[in-house]
Amino acid sequence: MNDEFAYETEDASLNKKPELPLVWLLPICAFIVSGWLIFKSASEKGPVITIDFPTAEGLEIDKTKIRYLDVEIGKVTDININQDSKTIQVTAQMHRTAENYLNQNTSFWVVRPQVGLAGISGLNTLISGAYIEVKPGDGSHQHHFTGLPAAPVLKTEAKGRQFVLETTNLGALAPRTQINFHGIPVGEVLTQELSVNADSIRLVIFIKAPYDQFVRKNTRFWKDSGIDLSAGADGFKVRTGPLVSMLSGGIAFRTPPEDTIKDVKPEYTMFHLYDNYEQSTQIEYRNTLKYVMYFNGSVRGLTEGAPVQLRGIPIGTVTGISLELDAKTADIRIPVTVDLEPDRIKEINKQPNISNKDMMSRLISKGLRAQLQTGSLLTGQLLVDLDFHPHSKVTLHSNNSPYQEFPTIPSSLDQFTHSAQTIMDKIAKLPLNELTIEMNNTLKSLQVTSKAANGMLAGARQTIGSADKSLQSADQLLRSLEPGSTTRHEIDKLLLELNQSANSVKQLTDYLEQHPEALLRGKGDE
Amino acid sequence: MKALPGALRQGLIRCGDCGALTKRGAASRPCPVCGSQLHARIPNSLQRTLAFLLCGYALYIPANIFPIMTVTRFGAGEAHTILGGILTLIEGDMLPIAILVFIASILVPLLKLVGLSLLWLCVFYRWQVNARRWTQLYRIIAFVGRWSMLDIFMISILISLVDLGGIAQVLAGPAATAFASVVVITLFAAKNFDPRLIWDNQNV
Repeated sequence: MNDEFAYETEDASLNKKPELPLVWLLPICAFIVSGWLIFKSASEKGPVITIDFPTAEGLEIDKTKIRYLDVEIGKVTDININQDSKTIQVTAQMHRTAENYLNQNTSFWVVRPQVGLAGISGLNTLISGAYIEVKPGDGSHQHHFTGLPAAPVLKTEAKGRQFVLETTNLGALAPRTQINFHGIPVGEVLTQELSVNADSIRLVIFIKAPYDQFVRKNTRFWKDSGIDLSAGADGFKVRTGPLVSMLSGGIAFRTPPEDTIKDVKPEYTMFHLYDNYEQSTQIEYRNTLKYVMYFNGSVRGLTEGAPVQLRGIPIGTVTGISLELDAKTADIRIPVTVDLEPDRIKEINKQPNISNKDMMSRLISKGLRAQLQTGSLLTGQLLVDLDFHPHSKVTLHSNNSPYQEFPTIPSSLDQFTHSAQTIMDKIAKLPLNELTIEMNNTLKSLQVTSKAANGMLAGARQTIGSADKSLQSADQLLRSLEPGSTTRHEIDKLLLELNQSANSVKQLTDYLEQHPEALLRGKGDE
Repeated sequence: MKALPGALRQGLIRCGDCGALTKRGAASRPCPVCGSQLHARIPNSLQRTLAFLLCGYALYIPANIFPIMTVTRFGAGEAHTILGGILTLIEGDMLPIAILVFIASILVPLLKLVGLSLLWLCVFYRWQVNARRWTQLYRIIAFVGRWSMLDIFMISILISLVDLGGIAQVLAGPAATAFASVVVITLFAAKNFDPRLIWDNQNV
C-alpha cells in the first residue's frame, strides 16, 4: 500500500516536469497573434478630430467614413450639436496615416448625391450614404476643423493657375461654370464676389495646366453661353458654344497669335469678361476723346453703344443719351455723349506737337459735323455719322456737360421730312373746292357734247349707207366698161368715129381757111 | 463521504481506449486487450491543460475587442464586436436572443476558462476540497464547452445566406477566428485535464 502510494506521488511529480515543450508553442503563438493584432489596431489609430458642419444630413455614427481620394482614412464616431445650437460637431477617429493631412488649411465637406446640368456627382452615395471628403492643406497641425457647406471646386491639388475676371453682369455664371479654350474644357469658375464698390463682379477662375500658359497679355474672355444669332449684310450667322454652356452658361477665351510665350500673365491677373464673342473681337482703344452732341429732333433708334462713323468707318461709340430741360427757357435738349477713338485713324505726316484734341478741333473747323443717320431700315437703328459739310454753320449750345461740344447738323431724314412738310403745306393751300366745282361743270358740258356727237354719228351712218349704194352703182358702171364688153366696143367705135369726124371737121376748117369763098361758091374744081 | 480507494492504489491501470483494467506491472506496457499504450493518468495533463488555458486566455482578448462580423448594407459596412452585437440586440428589443448570445458567446467561454483554471489550481496546489463537487464542475465544463460554437455557427450560416453583393453582405471579422480558436482550445484543455488528479490529491 505504501509502495503504491509512493509510486503515485512519483507519478504525479513526473507530470510536473517540462517533458512536452511542444505544447507550449501553442500559447506562445496565441500570445504573439493576439498581441500583434492588438498592436496593429492600436498603431493604426490616429488622432481624434472634431469637425463643425452646418447640418448632420446623411451622417451616421460609426457608419460615415472620412475619405481622401476614395481611400478611407477615418470614421465618424460621434455627432453632437454645438453649444450655439446652430451647427453640429462631428467627432472622428482618424487613421494614423491621416496624421499628415490634418493641417490648418485642410478642408472637409460632406459628399452627397448631386444632379446638375454639368453632370451627376456623388451617385455612389445614393446607396452607400454620405461620406466626408478631405482636401489636404498646409499650415499648422490641428485637430479641430470647420467643414465646408459644399464641396470645393478643386478637390485635389491640380496643377494650374487662377485668374480674376471682371464683369458687370453675372448672368448664368456660377462656381463650377466650365471654361473652354477652343472648345476644350480647361477650367472652372471657383468663386464669385462683388467688388468693394459693388460696381462689378469678380470671378476667380482656375485654368488647368498646361492651358494656363495660353492666358497671355491680349487674351480675351467672353461669355460663351446660349446661341448667338446675328444678321449681317452677308446673311445670318449662328454661333453656339458647347451644349453644356448653352444650357448652363460658360466662359471661353482666346489668345491672339501675336502673343508669345513671353506675354504669359502671372497668377491672379485681372481680365475683363466680355458679354459675347462679338464684343471680345473688337479692339479696345484706351485713348478716347469724349464729346457731347446736341441733336435737334427725335433720337428714337439711337442707343448707347451705337457706332459713331466717319464716312462709314466706325471710330467711336455713343456712351450716353439723356434729356435736358432748361428751367429758364423751357427748352428741351438731348445731349448725346460719344467716345471717339482717334487711334483708329492712321495718321500720315505725323505732327508731334498736335494732340488728338487739337487735331479734332482742326477737323471741326474744316467742317466736320455730326449727323444722325439710319443704320438699318429694318430696325430703325440710328448711328452718328461724321462728315465734312464745309458750308454749314457751327451752332453751339450752352454746354453744361464736362465735355466739349461737337457741332451737329440736322439729319438727312430731318431735312427730308422738312421739305416734305413744305410740299404738304403748299398742297394744303391749293383751292381744292373751287377746282372740283369747275371740274364738275366741265364734265357736265362734256356730257352734252358727247350726246350731240351721238346724234351726229347716227346721221353719219345714213350717209355711209347711201355712199355705199353710189359705190355699188359705180362699180357696175366700171364693170360694164371693162375691155371686151359691148359698151367698151361701142365706145371704142364711137371714139373712132368721133376721130374721123374730127378729122373731116379739121379738113373742112383747113379748106375753109384757104378757100373761105367756098362757103359761098362751093367747092371749086381743082 | 469516504472515497473508495482508486484503481491505481489497488495496483490497476485502466486502459484509456477500451477501459480494460490491467494489473500494473512494468512501465510502458501496452493494453493486453486493445494494444494501446497504458497510462495511469493522462500524461502531462497539468502542463498541457495550462498551455491550452493560457492560449485560450490569449485569444479571448482579441475575440472580444475586435469586430466579430461586418454587416454591409448598401455598401456601408458596420462592424460589430460580440458585446456591441448584444447591445444592438437589446436596443432592438430582442432581449431573449441577446441573453442567449450573451450566455453562449461571453458567459460560457469565460466560465470555461475560469473553471478550468480553478480546477488546475486545485490540482497544482493540492487544495483539500470536496472532490465530488469539483468533478461535477469539471463535468459541466466539459459538457457546456461545445455550445459556445453556436455563435460561430450562426456567423457561418449568415455569411453563406446573406451574400447579396452590394445590397447586403456579412463578413467574418478577426474576432470570429479568435473566438472559434478559444472554443476549440478550451475543449482541448478540458479534454487534457484529468479529473482523477483531484481525487489523487485528497489526503484521505
